[in-house]
Amino acid sequence: MDISSPAAFANGGLLRMHVGRKVRTVLQVTRSDIASVIGKSTDGYQLVAKGSPHVPPTSFVEVIGVAENENTIRAELWTNFGDTFDASSYDQLCQLANGEFKHLFL
Amino acid sequence: MQSNEFDGNAAFSGGGFMPSQATQTTPDRPSSASKNSDARCLLPLTVKQLVDLSRGGESDISIEGVDVNNIVLVGKVSKIDNAVSECTFRVDDGTGWVECTKWVHEHLDSVEVDAISVGMYVRVYGQLKSIHSRRTVHTFSIRPVTDYNEITNHFIECIYVHFYNTKMRGCINTQPGMTNSVSGMTAQPQVANSNFGDPGKGYSYEANQTSQYNNDEEQIRALSSMVLQYLRQPACIAFEMGVSSVVVARELNISVDKVRQTLDFLASEGLVYTTTDDYFKFTDA
Repeated sequence: MDISSPAAFANGGLLRMHVGRKVRTVLQVTRSDIASVIGKSTDGYQLVAKGSPHVPPTSFVEVIGVAENENTIRAELWTNFGDTFDASSYDQLCQLANGEFKHLFL
Repeated sequence: MQSNEFDGNAAFSGGGFMPSQATQTTPDRPSSASKNSDARCLLPLTVKQLVDLSRGGESDISIEGVDVNNIVLVGKVSKIDNAVSECTFRVDDGTGWVECTKWVHEHLDSVEVDAISVGMYVRVYGQLKSIHSRRTVHTFSIRPVTDYNEITNHFIECIYVHFYNTKMRGCINTQPGMTNSVSGMTAQPQVANSNFGDPGKGYSYEANQTSQYNNDEEQIRALSSMVLQYLRQPACIAFEMGVSSVVVARELNISVDKVRQTLDFLASEGLVYTTTDDYFKFTDA
């Protein structure tokens, strides 16, 4: 059992709080190329996930990686979340997980 | 021909339907009905919450005053170790990882574990075991997540159950011996609530009594009450960014260190939260 390397829930607005640290977020993919995937965060910001998923991304993709700056993540793990996903609930979860219930996650 | 692979204890413990046999590390408790029902509850947890459990020894694990027996986790499988009669999955839910062991005795068990691969999100139902201070999850069921809204839902459930156990049930944990951060969350709300039930009285009571407090616990209560009253003012709530601890210290004429200590305590109670570094807001419930 180990909690030394958590990934903080992040959306576009919260990414700046975790620059340099491991984060997880869900993007709605708008464009993908060889070196990166560009998408919209659950709160409407445009974010860049650097790296390349092993399989072509679906509409929604979860990215886990290190936040390089307030709109870029250096991706380590990719998970396709399919074409239907409740972005607003995920966004609310990000707020709660970084706010009053942060101690349950980090 | 004897089936030398068959181990009766392990078979029954793998099913998990007979808790008194399954939990070899948990002794039978002479208990009231409420303790029995607590022991049977299923708690959705994050791995961080598992690690924060009070250390009551191997057989006595509780969280937020509720005896933890069966738990649910949702996370990504990062490693699989396949042995002859068991399969161990390392499940990482983003807050940490834990090893979940599923005994494989029947064809159905094999089918279940074969469906899991590395990188997959899974839901795990199991029982927390602590053997020689190594905590693992003895797994009853592990299945792939197919609708990823389940991940969001699980964590929101963790938050809800935590909130329910620490706030809505009042003071569940009445054990005086627990002093770590988890017990702080359960023991303190009752104390805090008794002060805040009547804000006017609470504030004036604390203001008159501060000079007479001569032990840490009473002082923390007094300071908490003052700081919380300050942050609850409409003017403070109106600040989107919250109020800095330096401002709170200045306004209440308390040292910044004491204010920060108090704000950390209030944040651990969920009564305030940080917006950015050193800025705090009252949790507007």
